[in-house]
Amino acid sequence: MSVKNISITPGWEKYMTKEYLDLVERGPYGKQKKVSEMGSFKEVLEEHPMCAGCAMTLFIRLTMVGLPNPEHTVLIGTAGCGRLALTQTSIPFIYGNYGDTNAVASGLKRGLEVRFKDQAKDVVVMAGDGGLADIGFSAVMHSWFRKERFTTIMLDNEVYGNTGGQESGMTERGALLKMAPKGKMFEKMDMIGLAQTSGVAYIARLTPTNPTRVASVVRKAVMIAREVGPTFIQAYTSCNIEYAIPTPKVLDDARDIEAKRYGFMEIISDEAKAYLDSIDTAKKAKK
Amino acid sequence: MYLVAHIDQAICSETACRLCTQYCPEANTILYDNAAKTAFVAVDRCKGCEICVGICDDLAKHKAIKMIMITDLKSPFELSKEGFRPEKWDGTHP
Repeated sequence: MSVKNISITPGWEKYMTKEYLDLVERGPYGKQKKVSEMGSFKEVLEEHPMCAGCAMTLFIRLTMVGLPNPEHTVLIGTAGCGRLALTQTSIPFIYGNYGDTNAVASGLKRGLEVRFKDQAKDVVVMAGDGGLADIGFSAVMHSWFRKERFTTIMLDNEVYGNTGGQESGMTERGALLKMAPKGKMFEKMDMIGLAQTSGVAYIARLTPTNPTRVASVVRKAVMIAREVGPTFIQAYTSCNIEYAIPTPKVLDDARDIEAKRYGFMEIISDEAKAYLDSIDTAKKAKK
Repeated sequence: MYLVAHIDQAICSETACRLCTQYCPEANTILYDNAAKTAFVAVDRCKGCEICVGICDDLAKHKAIKMIMITDLKSPFELSKEGFRPEKWDGTHP
Protein backbone atom coordinates (compact mmCIF):
# COMPACT_ATOMS: atom_id res chain seq x y z
CA MET A 1 0.00 0.00 0.00
CA SER A 2 2.75 2.37 -0.78
CA VAL A 3 5.06 3.12 -3.65
CA LYS A 4 7.53 0.57 -2.28
CA ASN A 5 5.01 -2.23 -2.56
CA ILE A 6 4.33 -1.41 -6.17
CA SER A 7 7.96 -1.32 -7.29
CA ILE A 8 9.40 -4.57 -8.64
CA THR A 9 11.98 -6.65 -6.80
CA PRO A 10 15.30 -6.36 -8.72
CA GLY A 11 15.74 -9.27 -11.11
CA TRP A 12 12.04 -9.90 -11.58
CA GLU A 13 11.40 -7.17 -14.15
CA LYS A 14 11.41 -9.57 -17.11
CA TYR A 15 8.58 -11.60 -15.62
CA MET A 16 6.25 -8.63 -15.18
CA THR A 17 3.76 -7.54 -17.82
CA LYS A 18 4.43 -4.49 -19.98
CA GLU A 19 1.53 -2.63 -18.40
CA TYR A 20 2.92 -3.13 -14.91
CA LEU A 21 6.42 -2.01 -15.83
CA ASP A 22 5.00 1.10 -17.51
CA LEU A 23 2.96 1.86 -14.42
CA VAL A 24 5.94 1.64 -12.09
CA GLU A 25 8.21 3.67 -14.34
CA ARG A 26 5.79 6.16 -15.87
CA GLY A 27 2.89 6.16 -13.45
CA PRO A 28 1.51 9.03 -11.39
CA TYR A 29 3.27 8.03 -8.17
CA GLY A 30 5.30 10.36 -6.04
CA LYS A 31 4.36 13.54 -7.85
CA GLN A 32 0.89 15.00 -8.29
CA LYS A 33 0.01 14.79 -11.98
CA LYS A 34 -2.10 17.47 -13.60
CA VAL A 35 -5.10 16.97 -15.86
CA SER A 36 -3.23 18.85 -18.60
CA GLU A 37 -0.55 16.13 -18.54
CA MET A 38 -3.01 13.36 -19.38
CA GLY A 39 -1.82 11.31 -22.35
CA SER A 40 1.80 11.76 -21.27
CA PHE A 41 1.83 9.52 -18.19
CA LYS A 42 0.60 6.01 -17.52
CA GLU A 43 -2.70 6.20 -15.69
CA VAL A 44 -3.66 3.97 -12.79
CA LEU A 45 -6.82 3.02 -14.66
CA GLU A 46 -6.34 0.24 -17.20
CA GLU A 47 -8.60 -1.06 -19.96
CA HIS A 48 -12.05 -1.82 -18.60
CA PRO A 49 -15.32 -3.31 -19.82
CA MET A 50 -17.57 -0.26 -19.42
CA CYS A 51 -19.72 0.89 -22.36
CA ALA A 52 -18.28 3.10 -25.09
CA GLY A 53 -18.71 6.80 -24.39
CA CYS A 54 -19.84 6.37 -20.78
CA ALA A 55 -19.69 9.62 -18.83
CA MET A 56 -19.15 7.64 -15.64
CA THR A 57 -15.92 6.23 -17.06
CA LEU A 58 -14.75 9.72 -17.89
CA PHE A 59 -15.51 10.82 -14.34
CA ILE A 60 -13.70 7.82 -12.83
CA ARG A 61 -10.67 8.44 -15.05
CA LEU A 62 -10.51 12.07 -13.93
CA THR A 63 -11.00 11.06 -10.30
CA MET A 64 -7.97 8.78 -10.51
CA VAL A 65 -5.91 11.74 -11.72
CA GLY A 66 -7.27 13.88 -8.89
CA LEU A 67 -6.34 11.48 -6.07
CA PRO A 68 -3.52 13.12 -4.11
CA ASN A 69 -1.76 9.82 -3.23
CA PRO A 70 -2.98 6.87 -5.29
CA GLU A 71 -0.44 4.61 -3.58
CA HIS A 72 -1.94 5.39 -0.17
CA THR A 73 -5.57 5.09 -1.21
CA VAL A 74 -8.11 2.31 -0.81
CA LEU A 75 -11.24 2.33 -2.94
CA ILE A 76 -14.51 0.84 -1.80
CA GLY A 77 -17.37 0.17 -4.15
CA THR A 78 -20.31 -2.09 -4.57
CA ALA A 79 -22.41 -3.73 -7.28
CA GLY A 80 -23.10 -1.31 -10.10
CA CYS A 81 -21.45 0.00 -13.23
CA GLY A 82 -18.68 1.92 -11.49
CA ARG A 83 -16.93 -1.12 -10.09
CA LEU A 84 -16.31 -2.43 -13.61
CA ALA A 85 -13.72 0.32 -14.04
CA LEU A 86 -12.73 0.68 -10.37
CA THR A 87 -11.58 -2.94 -10.26
CA GLN A 88 -9.26 -2.23 -13.21
CA THR A 89 -7.22 0.36 -11.32
CA SER A 90 -3.93 -0.33 -9.60
CA ILE A 91 -5.47 0.83 -6.34
CA PRO A 92 -6.65 -1.66 -3.71
CA PHE A 93 -10.39 -2.11 -4.19
CA ILE A 94 -12.82 -3.58 -1.69
CA TYR A 95 -16.05 -4.92 -3.13
CA GLY A 96 -18.49 -4.09 -0.37
CA ASN A 97 -21.84 -5.81 -0.22
CA TYR A 98 -24.77 -3.74 -1.30
CA GLY A 99 -25.65 -1.45 1.57
CA ASP A 100 -22.50 -1.63 3.66
CA THR A 101 -19.93 0.39 1.68
CA ASN A 102 -19.76 3.23 4.17
CA ALA A 103 -19.79 0.88 7.15
CA VAL A 104 -16.82 -1.02 5.66
CA ALA A 105 -15.07 2.29 4.96
CA SER A 106 -15.61 3.46 8.55
CA GLY A 107 -13.96 0.37 10.00
CA LEU A 108 -11.19 0.40 7.43
CA LYS A 109 -10.29 4.03 8.01
CA ARG A 110 -10.19 3.53 11.78
CA GLY A 111 -8.07 0.42 11.34
CA LEU A 112 -5.64 2.16 9.01
CA GLU A 113 -5.26 5.01 11.48
CA VAL A 114 -4.25 2.53 14.18
CA ARG A 115 -1.95 0.49 11.93
CA PHE A 116 -0.25 3.38 10.07
CA LYS A 117 0.09 6.15 12.63
CA ASP A 118 2.76 8.01 10.65
CA GLN A 119 1.14 7.77 7.21
CA ALA A 120 -1.96 9.41 5.83
CA LYS A 121 -4.15 6.74 4.26
CA ASP A 122 -7.11 7.81 2.19
CA VAL A 123 -10.32 5.82 1.96
CA VAL A 124 -12.64 6.66 -0.92
CA VAL A 125 -16.08 5.17 -1.38
CA MET A 126 -17.21 5.28 -4.99
CA ALA A 127 -20.59 3.80 -5.76
CA GLY A 128 -23.68 4.56 -7.75
CA ASP A 129 -26.84 6.34 -6.77
CA GLY A 130 -28.50 3.00 -6.01
CA GLY A 131 -25.63 1.81 -3.83
CA LEU A 132 -25.47 5.02 -1.79
CA ALA A 133 -28.87 6.72 -1.82
CA ASP A 134 -31.18 3.67 -1.87
CA ILE A 135 -29.66 0.47 -0.57
CA GLY A 136 -26.69 1.94 1.28
CA PHE A 137 -28.62 4.93 2.56
CA SER A 138 -28.56 4.19 6.29
CA ALA A 139 -24.84 3.35 6.32
CA VAL A 140 -24.10 6.54 4.39
CA MET A 141 -26.12 8.72 6.76
CA HIS A 142 -24.68 7.10 9.87
CA SER A 143 -21.10 7.45 8.67
CA TRP A 144 -21.80 11.15 8.17
CA PHE A 145 -23.41 11.55 11.57
CA ARG A 146 -20.42 9.83 13.18
CA LYS A 147 -18.11 12.21 11.26
CA GLU A 148 -16.06 9.35 9.82
CA ARG A 149 -13.08 10.72 7.95
CA PHE A 150 -13.36 9.43 4.40
CA THR A 151 -14.69 10.59 1.04
CA THR A 152 -17.98 9.39 -0.43
CA ILE A 153 -18.35 9.87 -4.17
CA MET A 154 -21.73 9.24 -5.71
CA LEU A 155 -21.72 8.35 -9.41
CA ASP A 156 -25.23 9.61 -10.02
CA ASN A 157 -26.51 8.21 -13.31
CA GLU A 158 -30.11 8.56 -12.08
CA VAL A 159 -31.02 4.95 -12.88
CA TYR A 160 -30.11 1.34 -12.08
CA GLY A 161 -28.17 1.06 -15.31
CA ASN A 162 -26.57 -2.32 -14.66
CA THR A 163 -29.84 -4.21 -14.18
CA GLY A 164 -31.99 -2.89 -16.99
CA GLY A 165 -33.27 0.58 -16.08
CA GLN A 166 -35.18 0.56 -12.80
CA GLU A 167 -35.85 3.94 -11.19
CA SER A 168 -33.70 4.89 -8.23
CA GLY A 169 -34.17 7.44 -5.48
CA MET A 170 -32.01 9.81 -7.49
CA THR A 171 -34.07 9.55 -10.70
CA GLU A 172 -35.81 12.78 -11.70
CA ARG A 173 -39.57 12.92 -11.23
CA GLY A 174 -41.39 11.92 -14.43
CA ALA A 175 -38.40 10.15 -16.01
CA LEU A 176 -39.54 7.35 -18.33
CA LEU A 177 -37.45 4.22 -18.06
CA LYS A 178 -37.72 0.63 -19.26
CA MET A 179 -38.72 -0.56 -15.80
CA ALA A 180 -40.61 2.64 -14.93
CA PRO A 181 -42.94 2.86 -17.93
CA LYS A 182 -45.35 5.32 -16.30
CA GLY A 183 -42.56 7.65 -15.29
CA LYS A 184 -41.17 8.11 -11.83
CA MET A 185 -43.81 9.42 -9.46
CA PHE A 186 -41.59 10.85 -6.72
CA GLU A 187 -39.08 13.66 -6.43
CA LYS A 188 -35.30 13.17 -6.73
CA MET A 189 -33.74 12.74 -3.31
CA ASP A 190 -31.92 15.78 -2.01
CA MET A 191 -28.65 14.16 -0.96
CA ILE A 192 -26.86 17.52 -0.87
CA GLY A 193 -29.41 18.79 1.67
CA LEU A 194 -29.08 15.62 3.73
CA ALA A 195 -25.30 15.92 3.70
CA GLN A 196 -25.57 19.51 4.88
CA THR A 197 -27.93 18.56 7.69
CA SER A 198 -25.67 15.77 8.90
CA GLY A 199 -22.66 18.12 9.02
CA VAL A 200 -20.50 16.91 6.14
CA ALA A 201 -17.36 19.08 5.99
CA TYR A 202 -17.17 19.40 2.21
CA ILE A 203 -19.98 18.87 -0.28
CA ALA A 204 -19.69 19.26 -4.04
CA ARG A 205 -22.06 18.69 -6.92
CA LEU A 206 -20.67 18.60 -10.45
CA THR A 207 -20.73 17.09 -13.92
CA PRO A 208 -17.68 15.87 -15.87
CA THR A 209 -17.82 18.80 -18.30
CA ASN A 210 -14.71 20.40 -16.82
CA PRO A 211 -11.87 17.86 -16.29
CA THR A 212 -9.64 20.21 -14.29
CA ARG A 213 -12.48 21.00 -11.92
CA VAL A 214 -13.27 17.32 -11.35
CA ALA A 215 -9.68 16.58 -10.41
CA SER A 216 -9.39 19.60 -8.10
CA VAL A 217 -12.69 18.85 -6.35
CA VAL A 218 -11.63 15.24 -5.74
CA ARG A 219 -8.26 16.41 -4.42
CA LYS A 220 -9.89 18.87 -2.03
CA ALA A 221 -12.42 16.28 -0.84
CA VAL A 222 -9.74 13.67 -0.13
CA MET A 223 -7.47 16.16 1.64
CA ILE A 224 -10.29 17.44 3.85
CA ALA A 225 -11.38 13.88 4.66
CA ARG A 226 -7.85 13.19 5.92
CA GLU A 227 -7.99 15.75 8.70
CA VAL A 228 -11.38 17.35 9.13
CA GLY A 229 -14.36 15.10 8.54
CA PRO A 230 -16.59 13.35 6.00
CA THR A 231 -16.77 14.70 2.47
CA PHE A 232 -19.31 14.06 -0.26
CA ILE A 233 -19.19 14.50 -4.02
CA GLN A 234 -22.29 14.02 -6.11
CA ALA A 235 -21.46 13.72 -9.80
CA TYR A 236 -23.85 13.54 -12.73
CA THR A 237 -22.59 10.69 -14.89
CA SER A 238 -25.34 10.00 -17.42
CA CYS A 239 -26.22 6.48 -18.51
CA ASN A 240 -26.20 6.74 -22.28
CA ILE A 241 -27.76 3.28 -22.64
CA GLU A 242 -30.81 3.65 -20.37
CA TYR A 243 -31.41 7.30 -21.27
CA ALA A 244 -30.74 6.59 -24.97
CA ILE A 245 -28.13 9.32 -25.46
CA PRO A 246 -26.06 8.80 -28.64
CA THR A 247 -22.41 8.59 -27.55
CA PRO A 248 -21.22 11.68 -29.49
CA LYS A 249 -23.87 13.66 -27.57
CA VAL A 250 -22.93 12.47 -24.07
CA LEU A 251 -21.05 15.64 -23.15
CA ASP A 252 -23.66 17.88 -24.79
CA ASP A 253 -26.22 16.21 -22.54
CA ALA A 254 -23.97 16.74 -19.50
CA ARG A 255 -23.66 20.43 -20.40
CA ASP A 256 -27.45 20.70 -20.85
CA ILE A 257 -28.22 19.07 -17.51
CA GLU A 258 -25.51 21.18 -15.85
CA ALA A 259 -27.17 24.35 -17.14
CA LYS A 260 -30.67 23.22 -16.16
CA ARG A 261 -30.41 21.62 -12.75
CA TYR A 262 -26.96 20.23 -11.96
CA GLY A 263 -24.78 23.33 -11.79
CA PHE A 264 -21.45 23.24 -9.98
CA MET A 265 -21.95 23.71 -6.26
CA GLU A 266 -19.51 23.57 -3.39
CA ILE A 267 -20.39 23.78 0.29
CA ILE A 268 -17.41 23.92 2.59
CA SER A 269 -17.31 24.23 6.37
CA ASP A 270 -15.22 26.92 8.06
CA GLU A 271 -12.92 24.33 9.60
CA ALA A 272 -12.34 22.66 6.23
CA LYS A 273 -11.70 26.01 4.59
CA ALA A 274 -9.14 26.91 7.24
CA TYR A 275 -7.43 23.53 6.70
CA LEU A 276 -7.23 24.05 2.91
CA ASP A 277 -5.83 27.53 3.44
CA SER A 278 -3.21 26.16 5.81
CA ILE A 279 -2.12 23.65 3.12
CA ASP A 280 -1.85 26.46 0.57
CA THR A 281 0.23 28.62 2.89
CA ALA A 282 2.53 25.69 3.66
CA LYS A 283 2.99 25.08 -0.09
CA LYS A 284 3.81 28.71 -0.77
CA ALA A 285 6.25 28.82 2.13
CA LYS A 286 8.07 25.80 0.63
CA LYS A 287 8.52 27.60 -2.67
CA MET B 1 -15.17 -3.83 -39.22
CA TYR B 2 -15.50 -0.81 -37.03
CA LEU B 3 -14.65 2.86 -36.78
CA VAL B 4 -11.87 4.31 -34.66
CA ALA B 5 -10.85 7.91 -34.03
CA HIS B 6 -8.08 9.22 -36.22
CA ILE B 7 -6.22 12.47 -35.55
CA ASP B 8 -4.89 14.60 -38.39
CA GLN B 9 -1.43 15.34 -37.03
CA ALA B 10 -0.81 18.25 -39.40
CA ILE B 11 -3.73 20.15 -37.84
CA CYS B 12 -3.12 18.92 -34.29
CA SER B 13 0.55 19.87 -34.14
CA GLU B 14 -0.38 23.48 -34.94
CA THR B 15 -2.23 23.71 -31.61
CA ALA B 16 -1.47 22.69 -28.05
CA CYS B 17 -4.97 22.32 -26.67
CA ARG B 18 -4.75 18.65 -25.53
CA LEU B 19 -8.50 18.67 -24.86
CA CYS B 20 -9.15 15.28 -26.48
CA THR B 21 -6.68 13.59 -24.11
CA GLN B 22 -8.68 14.96 -21.17
CA TYR B 23 -12.20 14.16 -22.37
CA CYS B 24 -11.65 10.62 -23.69
CA PRO B 25 -13.41 8.20 -21.31
CA GLU B 26 -10.82 5.50 -21.90
CA ALA B 27 -7.53 5.63 -20.03
CA ASN B 28 -4.33 6.09 -22.08
CA THR B 29 -6.19 5.89 -25.38
CA ILE B 30 -5.55 9.32 -26.83
CA LEU B 31 -1.86 9.78 -26.13
CA TYR B 32 0.22 12.91 -26.47
CA ASP B 33 3.50 12.94 -28.34
CA ASN B 34 5.55 15.70 -26.73
CA ALA B 35 8.27 15.57 -29.41
CA ALA B 36 5.94 16.15 -32.36
CA LYS B 37 3.40 18.14 -30.27
CA THR B 38 0.48 16.09 -31.44
CA ALA B 39 -2.10 13.72 -30.03
CA PHE B 40 -2.54 10.24 -31.49
CA VAL B 41 -4.82 7.29 -30.87
CA ALA B 42 -4.02 3.84 -29.50
CA VAL B 43 -6.46 2.01 -31.75
CA ASP B 44 -6.60 -1.17 -29.69
CA ARG B 45 -8.20 0.80 -26.87
CA CYS B 46 -10.53 3.05 -28.87
CA LYS B 47 -14.17 2.03 -28.45
CA GLY B 48 -15.37 4.45 -31.13
CA CYS B 49 -17.63 6.63 -28.98
CA GLU B 50 -16.86 9.81 -30.95
CA ILE B 51 -16.68 12.05 -27.87
CA CYS B 52 -13.28 13.32 -29.02
CA VAL B 53 -14.73 14.27 -32.42
CA GLY B 54 -17.32 16.49 -30.72
CA ILE B 55 -14.68 17.99 -28.43
CA CYS B 56 -12.29 18.77 -31.29
CA ASP B 57 -15.01 20.16 -33.58
CA ASP B 58 -17.16 22.16 -31.14
CA LEU B 59 -15.04 22.96 -28.09
CA ALA B 60 -11.53 23.30 -29.55
CA LYS B 61 -12.78 24.18 -33.08
CA HIS B 62 -9.82 22.47 -34.76
CA LYS B 63 -11.72 19.74 -36.62
CA ALA B 64 -8.68 17.45 -36.54
CA ILE B 65 -10.36 14.19 -35.50
CA LYS B 66 -12.38 11.94 -37.82
CA MET B 67 -13.77 8.45 -37.46
CA ILE B 68 -12.28 6.06 -39.99
CA MET B 69 -12.43 2.31 -40.64
CA ILE B 70 -9.73 0.48 -38.76
CA THR B 71 -8.80 -1.40 -41.94
CA ASP B 72 -7.96 1.91 -43.65
CA LEU B 73 -5.17 2.68 -41.18
CA LYS B 74 -1.75 2.04 -42.70
CA SER B 75 0.27 1.43 -39.54
CA PRO B 76 -2.01 1.65 -36.51
CA PHE B 77 -0.50 2.25 -33.07
CA GLU B 78 -1.42 -0.47 -30.59
CA LEU B 79 -0.58 0.19 -26.96
CA SER B 80 -0.72 -3.50 -26.02
CA LYS B 81 2.08 -4.23 -28.53
CA GLU B 82 4.27 -1.15 -28.12
CA GLY B 83 3.76 -0.42 -24.44
CA PHE B 84 3.65 3.05 -22.94
CA ARG B 85 7.03 4.44 -24.06
CA PRO B 86 6.78 8.23 -24.52
CA GLU B 87 10.53 8.49 -25.25
CA LYS B 88 10.00 6.47 -28.44
CA TRP B 89 7.21 8.65 -29.79
CA ASP B 90 8.54 10.89 -32.53
CA GLY B 91 5.55 11.87 -34.61
CA THR B 92 5.81 8.84 -36.87
CA HIS B 93 2.57 7.32 -35.63
CA PRO B 94 -0.27 7.54 -38.10
